[in-house]
Amino acid sequence: MSGVLEVEHVETGRWRSAVAAAIDGGAEFDGLYAAPTGHDPAVRLVLRQGAARRMLTARAAESRLATVVDLLPAAEWDEREAHDTHGVVFDGHEPLRALVAHPADRAGWITPVEGPDVHEVAVGPIHAGVIESGHFRFHVVGERVLHLDLRLFYKHRGLERAAEGVTLAGGLAVARRACAACAAANAVAYAQAVESLLGLEPDEDLRRSRTVILELERLYNHLHDLSALCAGVGFDPGTMTFAALKERAQRVNERVTGHRFLFGAVRIGEGAGDVDAGTAAEVRREIEAIGSDAAAAWRTLTFMEAVQDRLRGVGPLSREDAERWGAVGPVARASGVHRDARTENPGLLWYPDLLPARPEHPTGDVAARAEVRALELEQTCAMLSGLLGAPPGPGQATASREPAALGVACVESPRGATVCCVEADEDHIVRLHLRTASYANWPVLARVVPGAILPDFPLINKSFELCYACVDR
Amino acid sequence: MFVLLKRLQQLRRSVALAAPAEPGSLALRHADCGSCNGCEHELTNAAGPHYDLARHGLSVVASPRHADVLLITGAVTTRMLGPLRAAHAAMPEPRLVAALGDCALGVGVIGDPAELVGPLEDVLPVDIRVPGCPPTPTAIAEALLGALDLVRHPLREDQR
Repeated sequence: MSGVLEVEHVETGRWRSAVAAAIDGGAEFDGLYAAPTGHDPAVRLVLRQGAARRMLTARAAESRLATVVDLLPAAEWDEREAHDTHGVVFDGHEPLRALVAHPADRAGWITPVEGPDVHEVAVGPIHAGVIESGHFRFHVVGERVLHLDLRLFYKHRGLERAAEGVTLAGGLAVARRACAACAAANAVAYAQAVESLLGLEPDEDLRRSRTVILELERLYNHLHDLSALCAGVGFDPGTMTFAALKERAQRVNERVTGHRFLFGAVRIGEGAGDVDAGTAAEVRREIEAIGSDAAAAWRTLTFMEAVQDRLRGVGPLSREDAERWGAVGPVARASGVHRDARTENPGLLWYPDLLPARPEHPTGDVAARAEVRALELEQTCAMLSGLLGAPPGPGQATASREPAALGVACVESPRGATVCCVEADEDHIVRLHLRTASYANWPVLARVVPGAILPDFPLINKSFELCYACVDR
Repeated sequence: MFVLLKRLQQLRRSVALAAPAEPGSLALRHADCGSCNGCEHELTNAAGPHYDLARHGLSVVASPRHADVLLITGAVTTRMLGPLRAAHAAMPEPRLVAALGDCALGVGVIGDPAELVGPLEDVLPVDIRVPGCPPTPTAIAEALLGALDLVRHPLREDQR
């Protein structure tokens, strides 16, 4: 449930023990970031405990704080980012390699991998197709990958810094700009964070209408991902079939919201508009048709042994590793992690009957990651059909308690749990932090690839299908 | 699946994309210089089954050395300036540069000015401009089909 965020201020020297105690008490990691507070930066740790969310925060005296990366391996990128953007040195996190920063010196970001026959394969930042920019450094022996260093943030636009000083209303455009493919999820996460800060509760119409927008986003993204997966194994009929379905889904987006990527469909404190009954009925029929065409295409695919043979056993991620490294979304569910952020905030959106998708065999390989998306497409089409059967009005959020200085929200984007934190001084943003599902999953991808052969990387990569834009920000 | 593919013939006819007056071909090289990934999605859609740019001779190639047109998306971040210049320098002449989407055109850009060097116009001479946030697949397809004429009748330096 939404509610007042419990914030616990921890003395600098007690940071590790306080974090360890929270983990022992069952708290789970949802992100870590630095915020400017007067002389020294503060470090914020966002945790979820059952349905509630809490925060531990400590002042990094003289910009130093003990690392918690050994207690929370999923915080590795977060600590590296806090160092690059706010100069916080995490004692014990060694080497604290650059993440956002791009040092000229190799040693600043590349893991030394040495031995007979080891060599490096550099890919990017500009890739061979229509792909976002980012650099991969593979350390290989023959075809086998020993280690992968990622160097992203080529697309770093400084969005979080650009948000500082902007009004809470103005911050929405900044959050949305992070990524087109996750625009609705990021915008809803931001709007909910601001509403939690302002003490606003959404009514039933707003919860339903936002759920429609989020599921429309999932629909075209999952279709896109299955298309990309088919491309990853060179199966063009599958690529084109799912690409055609994605185009139809984007036309539905335009029909419902006036924009193919749902831009402008999310506002703070209110819905952006409603759908008239006639349009809703037409759109509902088209979504049902897309759903049944997608199901038919997926069935065909499952019987194509040549395709299936390329998916099974490739890029496996165990459930233990998925949990340990903080994987989220379809990637985590494919490994048997029974978590979907849509089931965690019953008061904010509209998912009364949803259960996290469970593949028949949660093997955590490319095949399971594809299957989760096919299962979720079915769920999404069914939910959209239900919601559009009685189209909601735009709805609004109304004051239910006193405003606070900080708001946090978590939304399940097509790629998984996305956490947005907003800190404000009156009406102006002091700090905006967006930890997207892609941010959570990129370091997991880098750990799955070693052991695979280099030619399987594009396929494994496509089964994760992560954004660069919403990581680089 | 193959039934669906048969139906694509119909879908494709539903897109009112005029064929170029004279047939020709162009090899396109894409470089993302700091987009939100919207332009990439729409460019992929333009090459997808509905719009199918390849049937008019336009295809995306994997190296700037094979390319006639450099398609740039994004506001041009400081970190992409070097790779962008390298890709442009690697192209054979004559070559065209297309600014795809509002960010590359310097319209409505959001970000920290210290991280951005755009618009593209300040970095490279731009021949083709495709506005939109993001531009629709139709807008992209029409602009690139128009580029076929631009190749036959190149602009003089003072017309750019």
